[in-house]
Order: sequence, then structure tokens, then C-alpha cells
Amino acid sequence: MKPALDFLIKEEQVYSGALSCRGCGWSLLARHLADILGKDTVFVVPASCFSIITGPYPLNDLKANVVHTVFAAASATATGVRAALDRQGKQNTTVAILAGDGGTFDIGFQALSGAAARGENILYICNNNGAYMNTGIQSSTATPYGAVTTTNPGQGYKRTWPKDLMGIIAAHNLPYAATASLAFMEDLRSKIKKAKNTKGFRFIMVDGPCPPGHKTEPGQSIEIGRLAVESKLFPLFEVEHQHYTINYRPDKEMPVTECMKHQGRFRHLFKEGHQHLLDEVQAHTDRYWERLLSNAAVSMPAT
Amino acid sequence: MKTETLDSLNKMPADKNKYPHHQEKIMKGNYAAAEGARLCRVGFVPAYPITPQTTIVERLSEMVAEEELDATYINMDSEHSVFAAAMGAAITGERVFTATAGQGLFYAHEVLQAISHFRLPMVVCNVGRPSIPWNIWSDQSDSLSQRDTGWIQFYGESSQEVLDTIIQAYVITEKMHIPVMVVLDAFYQSHTSENVWVPDQELVDQFLPPFRNSPMKVDLENPKAFGGLIPPEHYNKINYSYWKDIQAVEELSESVGEAFGKKFGRSYPNIEAVNIGPQTKLVLVTISSISSTVRGVIKQYPEVGLLKIRLFRPFPKASVRKALADLPKDAVIACVERNFLGDREGAILQEMKRALYPTDFKLYDFYAGVGGKDVPPVTIEKIIYKALHQPEEVNWADVS
Repeated sequence: MKPALDFLIKEEQVYSGALSCRGCGWSLLARHLADILGKDTVFVVPASCFSIITGPYPLNDLKANVVHTVFAAASATATGVRAALDRQGKQNTTVAILAGDGGTFDIGFQALSGAAARGENILYICNNNGAYMNTGIQSSTATPYGAVTTTNPGQGYKRTWPKDLMGIIAAHNLPYAATASLAFMEDLRSKIKKAKNTKGFRFIMVDGPCPPGHKTEPGQSIEIGRLAVESKLFPLFEVEHQHYTINYRPDKEMPVTECMKHQGRFRHLFKEGHQHLLDEVQAHTDRYWERLLSNAAVSMPAT
Repeated sequence: MKTETLDSLNKMPADKNKYPHHQEKIMKGNYAAAEGARLCRVGFVPAYPITPQTTIVERLSEMVAEEELDATYINMDSEHSVFAAAMGAAITGERVFTATAGQGLFYAHEVLQAISHFRLPMVVCNVGRPSIPWNIWSDQSDSLSQRDTGWIQFYGESSQEVLDTIIQAYVITEKMHIPVMVVLDAFYQSHTSENVWVPDQELVDQFLPPFRNSPMKVDLENPKAFGGLIPPEHYNKINYSYWKDIQAVEELSESVGEAFGKKFGRSYPNIEAVNIGPQTKLVLVTISSISSTVRGVIKQYPEVGLLKIRLFRPFPKASVRKALADLPKDAVIACVERNFLGDREGAILQEMKRALYPTDFKLYDFYAGVGGKDVPPVTIEKIIYKALHQPEEVNWADVS
């Protein structure tokens, strides 16, 4: 099989010198997003790692307009930008939100749900790195079960399951929602293209590698992302008007520990006496996958 | 028995030539506010209901549905989102209007700061009500607690003044790139019908350009980043330029109020002084509809004057000092406060002391009408008596 090459970027739409940490997913994601969305895009960025990465004043990593906004209100700010562009005859300009999981699952959730329910013509990208990484690794409702953060330290590791945001998003009956991984670049790019060419509220959640937060080596970012998909910790799927499509079905059964063992945030779970917690994560992951399979099985192709 | 309909009242004989190119109508304060926004041809209205503001956004929604107003109207999910959407549309170049009240304004506080620090022009009406325990009645604690967000604030005494101030506010906001809040009183104004002269569209178009034209906006041909992290030395510079600009507002507002008078026949100074001169022993300082009550009462009190504050932020220090220039040095100044900001003194006395310092005048404070309690003429008379005869520094006029 010939390797896919259509993820090569011909003309960079970002400047060099972005302020991301080594091994961060945001820079790679922003390069591909900007490449596909092009200059005719207004990016709206709430408080997040990306707000810093794209540049403090007077820098702008992106070659397009960037509106930085308050933490809770990316979707509402984007609603105003969209309305103004539409009034000015710029219906084809893309309005894209680039937010983290805190700004999506937690503080920005109400505005997100509002904009999704109104069917605003906005593309929402959530880089889900599973905690408030910009402020130094505090727990969010996207933080995985068992992970250690600075607000779930040591034996106080997170003991609740992350919010099923994709399920909630799908319940808004959106024209397009998807998960994507930087380790599956062709899939990621095709999803961004599909989202770009769809009207209405579109949502893509990208698995966000974060070496300082996940306690990994920068060079492992893509590999761990691949293991997350292979072990079904981060399944790749699309939801179009509640019709589910699973984009990648792993060939072989891989236990979640294969992905988790590389991440220092889960290190304590591998100590003696904690096997039952790993079993719980495995069971929860299996149940979620089963549910996806059944959702996909009952889904008719989207019309 | 014959019932008078609104239409028949509208047809009542009146001085039809009082204001040429106007129509005299009877309308509630909230409808006058909506009418003001319509006449300013606002392009974007994000909305969220809250008593007693709701009928403003309802009326605007009706105007858009009936194609009386060419605006994009969006029902948002909260006031925080309303102000954030207003911010997004303003940064992309649209003329924006919305309305809120009490909890809604408190909820939007964070975004108020962002809008002013982005230096975005917009006009917002606030219909004042206080915070929980639930109270929907007239009180200015909400808007006065937002006085330090960088917004310009006007307080309207009548529905006419609210409508006219909205038109002036757009001229000011688009010149200064500082957002403006126009405040009206809950129920006493918002839900009370008054005679309002509604100017013809052409007249408003001559005074305010029909479309906002701003170089400071999202421009697809010339992409920029707005609002990224800004280091201390630059933040300092931005605040310095804001500080310089906000000080120009008092004079600009005065001249816009005067120019409005030339065009529309009704002038609006930053403050209004009634019966203030060498004979005056006491000056009552008011904002909003209490001013009308005081106006009536002092007709029986030749030694009492009224200082009505219309522009509250930036506080019109020069105008106030000028208005009190002929006041005898032993005169008493009493501020009537329909607000409670968690300190000993109410907002008006704080500002008056700041504006007059150093001064020989004796300044006293009278809390009155907090939480919507009615302030009838008799309460004003009690304040006058107490201020002249046995004042304490801070008084609650009507606690029983």
C-alpha cells in the first residue's frame, strides 16, 4: 500500500516561532487547520494554551484574523463575528473556534451548547489534552479517570469519568461532529475538509498530546496518540445528524494499559494494589466502544 | 363609557408644530429605547430576556420580524453570551445594540471590561434593578456598580430623554470608540407610558451616519490578531491612551447634546441645574426619574435647587463645578441615592465629593427608594427638612 501523501503542506499558513511546548499537538494541528481553511478565515480563540501559542501582542502565528476572547464565550463571540460577516456579504468566510477542553467541556459549555443549538455557521475545534494545561495541569471534566493533576494530586487522582462531550454534542443534532487524532493525519485532514465544506455548526474534537501535562517525552506524542486510538481510549468516529460512522476499527485487541503506561499521569495506577482501577478503565473503555458500535450499527447513511 | 384607545390618545390635539419632522406618540420607556435603536439603524441585536428590560428586546424582535429594522437578531443563551456576541459583531464592524438589567448586567461584567478595553463602539440600555434576594424593582445599584468598567454612562430622566440619548450615544461611541450604557428606571420609566416625540428617520440619518464606518475591525484583506496577551509596558500604554480619551468625553458629550438641540429642538447638557444661585440654601443631587419628582417639589421651596446628573461616567466634574459656582459657601448639598454599593456613602455622594474636593460645601447623603421603594414628593420633602435642619452625614430617608 502506497503511503498517503496528501497531508503535506504546500504553503504554510502559519509563521514560524509559535510558542508551544515541545511535542504539543496545537502547533501541528494549527498548521493543518490553517492550510485547509486558508486565509479567508476568522479564528476565535478563548483563554487556552493556543491563545499563548498563537502569539502575545504584537505577534500573530496565523496568517489570518485572530480574535482572542474571554474564557467562557468563544462560541458567543464567534456568533457575533459570524453575524457581522454575513451582513457584510462574507457568507463563505470560515469562522473557526480554537479552544481547549476547559473552554469546551467546562466554562465555555453553555455558550457552546447555545451556538450548537442555534445552528450557528461556525467550525468548533477542541484540542482535548485532558486538563487545564495552560494554567499548569488542573483537572477539567475532560480529565481521564485515574489521571493525576495539580488539583487531583497523588492519591487524590481523578475519580470521576470524563464528560461524554461527543455524546452531548451529537444530541444537538449537528450536521457534522467528529473526533480526530494527529496520529491519523489523513483522517484528520479529510475531517477538517469535510467540516469546512459543511454549513452549520460543526465540531471536531482532536486528541491533544501534552508532554508536560501527561508526563510524556515530546518524541512520544504521535506514538501515544496512535496507541490511544488502537486501544480505543480515543476512538475515531463521525456523527452526522446523529448518524454514527466509526472511521477506524483496530485490527487487534489492545489493552488500554498499552497507551496509559507511557504516561506519567497514570503511573500510580501501575503500582501494586491498583489493578482494579486499570480494570475499571478497561471496562469503561469497552462499554463506550460497544455503545459506538451499536450507534454505528443502527445508523443509516446520512443524507 | 367610552374607553380611550392608544390610537385615540395619539390623535389628541397637541402642539403639532412643537418639533418639526417628529411624530408625537404615547409609549412606554422600553419602547422608546427600542425606537431609539431602530432610528440608529443598528445592525446586530443579541438578546436575552430579563425583567424589566424584556420588552425592549421583544419590541426589537418584532421590528426585525416586521422588517421595520434591518438587523440580525439572535436569541442568545445568557447575558454573558449576549455581550460576547455584541463584542464579536462590533469587532467585525457592525453597529450593535442590546439591553439588559440587574443580574444580567452583573453576569456580563467580565465582558463589559473586555468590550471597553477592546475600545469597541456600542450602545446598551440597562433598566436598573438590584441583586438577589430577588427584586425586580427600580434601583441603580446594578449599573452604578459597573461604573468602573470603562463604559460611558448616561441616566435618562424621561422616555424622551432615553430615546434622544441613544441617538447621541451612537455619535459619541463611534467617535471615541468607548462603549456607552444608557440607563432607565425600572417600571417608573420602563413600563410607564409617556408622550414621546419620535424624530423622522431622515433627521436621525442627518445627525448620525446611517452606517458605521470604522477602520478598527476584522479585515480579511489585512489580517490582525485582537486581544492577545499583552506585556505590562504595552498594557500601560493602552491604558494611558484610554485615560486621555475618557477625559475628552465630558466636553464631547456636552457639544453633542448641544448639536442635538440644534437639529432636534431639544438640548441635553451633561448636567442640569434648576434654581441654583445665590439664594439657594440646599441643592438636591439626583439621577433618573427621581429628578422629575424633585423638580415638582422644589416649586414650593424657593431656597432649594436641583442638580440633575445625566452623564455619570466619566463624572462631569467641570460641569458640576461650573453649575455650583454661584452657590453660597454655606449651602448644603444632599445626594439622593437609589443605590447601595456596600459602602457607607452612595455612588452620587462619592462622585460629588471627588468632583468638588476641596470644598466648603456641606455634603450629605440620603438613601431613598433602594430596591424600588417609591419616592413620592413627601419623601423628598422629608429629605429637604432633614437636610436643612438636622442632617447626619449619611441618612436613610425612608426606613421604617
